[in-house]
Amino acid sequence: MKNVGESDQPIPLPNVSSSVLKKVLEYCEHHRGEPLPAPDADTSQDDTRKRTTDISEWDQKFITVDQEMLFEIILAANYLDIKSLLDVGCKTVANMIKGKTPEEIRKLFNIVNDFTPEEEVRLLALPHSYHQLILSFWHHQAQIKKENEWAEDR
Amino acid sequence: MENFKTLEPLKLYAAPSTLGLTRKGSLSQRQTQYVGRLPSDLHLLILSYLPVPDFPAYAQCSHSTAALAESEKIWGSRWKSLKVDKGLSAVLDDLEEHSRGRVAESRAAAPPTISVDDEFGDFASVDVPQDEMGDFVGAFQNPTTPISSTLWSAKPSFTSTSRGQYIRAHNLLKPLTDTLSSPTHIILTNLASAVTPSLRLEASTLRLLSLFLSSTIQPIRKWRESRSALSSAMDRFDANLLAAFDQADEKGDEKGMREAAHASWLVWDGTEGDWEMGKVWAEKREIFYDQPWDPLANFTKDHQLAFDAMDDFMSTVLKALSEHGSRAVRVFLPEAGVLIAFADRVASDVVGEYISSLLTRAREISVDLYLKAAAASFREAWKMVDAILSAGGESVSKTDAEDVVYRMFESNMDEYLDEETEVVKPAFEGLCKGWDREASQRHNDATARFLTSHNPSQVKRNVLASFTDVLLLPVTIVPKVGGALGGALVSGGTAVGGAAAQGIAMLNPQRWGGASSVSNIPEGYQKHGEAGNEMVFEIGSDEEDDEKDFANGMEKNPFSSVSNGKQRHDSLSVPNPPSSAKSSSSPLSAGTLMHTKDQMDQMDTLLSLDVALELIHTARESLKRLETFCGYPNRIGERVRDTIEEVFILMLQALGDGHIKKGFSRWVFMQVQNRTSSSSGPAFRATERMTSYKPAEHDSGETTANTRVAPLLQFFELVHIGDTIQSMVQVYFDKELSPHLDKMDFLNPVMRQKKLFENSLDDCVAGGLNAGTEVLMNQVEHIIIKLTKPREYYPPEQVKVEELDLKESKGCVEAIKCLDMHCKLLKGSTSKEVLEVFHQEVGIRLIAILQKHIKRQIISLTGGFQVIADLNAYHAFVTSLKVPSITADFANLKMLGHVYVVEDAKDLAQIVRDVTRYGGQYRPEDIYEFVQRRSDWKKIEKIVDKTMYNLSFKEDCVIC
Repeated sequence: MKNVGESDQPIPLPNVSSSVLKKVLEYCEHHRGEPLPAPDADTSQDDTRKRTTDISEWDQKFITVDQEMLFEIILAANYLDIKSLLDVGCKTVANMIKGKTPEEIRKLFNIVNDFTPEEEVRLLALPHSYHQLILSFWHHQAQIKKENEWAEDR
Repeated sequence: MENFKTLEPLKLYAAPSTLGLTRKGSLSQRQTQYVGRLPSDLHLLILSYLPVPDFPAYAQCSHSTAALAESEKIWGSRWKSLKVDKGLSAVLDDLEEHSRGRVAESRAAAPPTISVDDEFGDFASVDVPQDEMGDFVGAFQNPTTPISSTLWSAKPSFTSTSRGQYIRAHNLLKPLTDTLSSPTHIILTNLASAVTPSLRLEASTLRLLSLFLSSTIQPIRKWRESRSALSSAMDRFDANLLAAFDQADEKGDEKGMREAAHASWLVWDGTEGDWEMGKVWAEKREIFYDQPWDPLANFTKDHQLAFDAMDDFMSTVLKALSEHGSRAVRVFLPEAGVLIAFADRVASDVVGEYISSLLTRAREISVDLYLKAAAASFREAWKMVDAILSAGGESVSKTDAEDVVYRMFESNMDEYLDEETEVVKPAFEGLCKGWDREASQRHNDATARFLTSHNPSQVKRNVLASFTDVLLLPVTIVPKVGGALGGALVSGGTAVGGAAAQGIAMLNPQRWGGASSVSNIPEGYQKHGEAGNEMVFEIGSDEEDDEKDFANGMEKNPFSSVSNGKQRHDSLSVPNPPSSAKSSSSPLSAGTLMHTKDQMDQMDTLLSLDVALELIHTARESLKRLETFCGYPNRIGERVRDTIEEVFILMLQALGDGHIKKGFSRWVFMQVQNRTSSSSGPAFRATERMTSYKPAEHDSGETTANTRVAPLLQFFELVHIGDTIQSMVQVYFDKELSPHLDKMDFLNPVMRQKKLFENSLDDCVAGGLNAGTEVLMNQVEHIIIKLTKPREYYPPEQVKVEELDLKESKGCVEAIKCLDMHCKLLKGSTSKEVLEVFHQEVGIRLIAILQKHIKRQIISLTGGFQVIADLNAYHAFVTSLKVPSITADFANLKMLGHVYVVEDAKDLAQIVRDVTRYGGQYRPEDIYEFVQRRSDWKKIEKIVDKTMYNLSFKEDCVIC
């Protein structure tokens, strides 16, 4: 892992379970010695760099775990700030989303469907008109804002 | 308003009346918010990898996922990766135009389905069947469905977001991807039909498509396959362009070339290698194949440089460069940088090759030649910069053009810089050593005296003025044979610095003597000499005759030569020859005289302006060569500057340690040697500690003008030369070196070395002064002793005070004359501080001498007036030196004279006891000693004692 410093102090990892940490360490062990991404490699740069959707063979094998574990790894990587592992995880999830129906995706992410039945109907009737929904909502907000301003001016 | 902000009733409106979505809407901003299992920022990360076709399904999961799918961040990066700039957006517009045209066609065929009533009209969503690929449709428009284009154009605000812009591009580009499944040639024709037919637009479309079908965007499911189909299509397109370009090139059709080139540049994605077309074009120029020139033609038969061949060569290159370069500028886009690439190739393949074989040959001949050739060839190659700039116009920056030459020559630089310092160092050493050798061999070779013979400051000004002129002379870096540039500056093959050498030769004082060519300078100083100091002038004019005499004498016989040699030295002061009888009377003495004479000659040659000039000249030549390169950027540039500094430092070291210090120390050594040899030699009296010839002079009674101390004069000459050299170094530094470094940077090695040089010169002067002062004071003592007659201060009784002409004694006059002259000699040649120290030293020693002298005399009351007169004279002289401390001392000494004129013993005792009279410098005991020198001392002793100590010996005895 990164050189945190020669310290005997335990580093608390409250969000990472031992089995996940083992997995993470396995990844780190394998990728030891590879150049770290520059710490200030911001979005403009990694747009070009990390943007290969491909996952290397070893990583592919490594990340072939059950969903529960996958998300745990992603969370741990995010928490530990291991950028490359996070990327691998996210790419895998993106691959999993491919071609799934909304219901399947909800299941994947454990998301509750919070659309009202009417909205649902509209959504079903008009594929992908969620945009409208959201836009209508925005519009609503804009109106409220306008009213606010108007009140303020008064 | 701002003051009331806290009162805004925000909460009233924010609450339940709004949809529950509010919180979710702001979800994406809050980092810790979880959507399902993952925080929202991880969702965004996942989305950035998600192909576009999967977005609808994702967005349909919940309100929050819908919001995330709208995030500007995701679409922003996708939009950015399309790199739509001005040119490409024109393509988009064109595509739009065309699709609109098709819309119109299809409208005519079948009226479009009514779009969903959308209160904002942002989305031209229409009910369309999902296409077979399950692609993202609806919001992003199916190609088969005509879009209500009016909506697009009517809502410019829509395109202000990245997402909106992306949607537009997506809708326009998506249809084109369909054709990519067909064979290559069909792709191209299909694409061509999508836009206004022009190579340029087609190329841009291809480019846009290739950006569109990237891993960043993943606009369709089959983007990978489409992408490879596209790239083969692009290759085909490019190959077509290349063929078209070649054809146009053969025909000289610049318009066709330009069109093809521009299109090809657009298609090129800038990733792999160089741009093919520019490279191919540059490679075809005949200058790379037809190389009839011979680098070795730059050497003349006698291994000198003559760069006419290179001149011709360069003009060919420049011609090709400007001809092809300007065409490149016309044909290719400025971004493609074809001109610079072409110039680069010309520089490295043609000029670089030429230069490297030239330099190799030069190196074989000699390192010196190599250095010259390096500087010269660089100067020649530099012409390319102008050619590139004039060909490129505004599209090429000056730095780019210069970089071409710098890059080309860089491979030679390290070697060159190493050589430069390595050559300069032994050159300096050789100059110094050569001088030393010459000086040690120089026995009979009389050199012209320089600074003793005229007013120093005037000559110094002259020398410096001509030196400055010499520095301003141009140095020819590029040597030529013929008089193409004017014969005066260029002489034969060795023209580098020729003019400067000539100018420096003019400076050489040794050539001033009778040289009519530079008569103005001698005239100047002769006139000055006449006006200022006759004696000094006389010496100068005597010089040559003396030397001739001397030479003749040498041939005749050793003894006469001795006498002549003596005369030469005496010419400093005494025009009449010394009695030969004296010199021949003692062989030993003659031998020593001879020896001394040689030493004197040597002294003349201890320091030489000539050597200094040569050193500076060598350094300057090297500097001029280096200056050619001083524009170099980065590392090499730093090295060049370092080398410039190093050369200067080496020069200072050679000049300071190798020349000046040696000269001075040898002089001091000579003084010491002289003294030891003379004091140990039995033939000399102890008092004659000076140089050997002076006592003889005195003995023969030639005392009239003997006020000079030759060694000291020599030393002053050294000081003058040293000072002139330092001034020259300063001028050189100011004129040539100061542009290259920061004068205020006292840590700079150059500045430190310069300070060191100045200090060491000062040290030398100080050390020499010490030795010189000693010699001078010995001489003064000698004069005083010799010229003071036995009864100088004790005149015969019969002479009354009134009858005495109260003038200074002869010894005093001569001593003062001697001192005065030497003190004045130094003026203007050394720093004020040194001069003051010198004067002070002279004063202090003079007091000691005078005190000793007085104590040796017997002084009568009448003679006392003489003493006072002398002391007054000394005081007046010292006052003229304007050194306060010793002036006071001499004032006190003056008071001392009074003790010799007081008749009454009691009064005398009072004076002796009155310490304040002498400013505390003399204690009563000291005065008592002086009083003892009175002629009547025996008579007054008791009274004085009694008055002084209030006791008599008798009474003492009683007490005992």
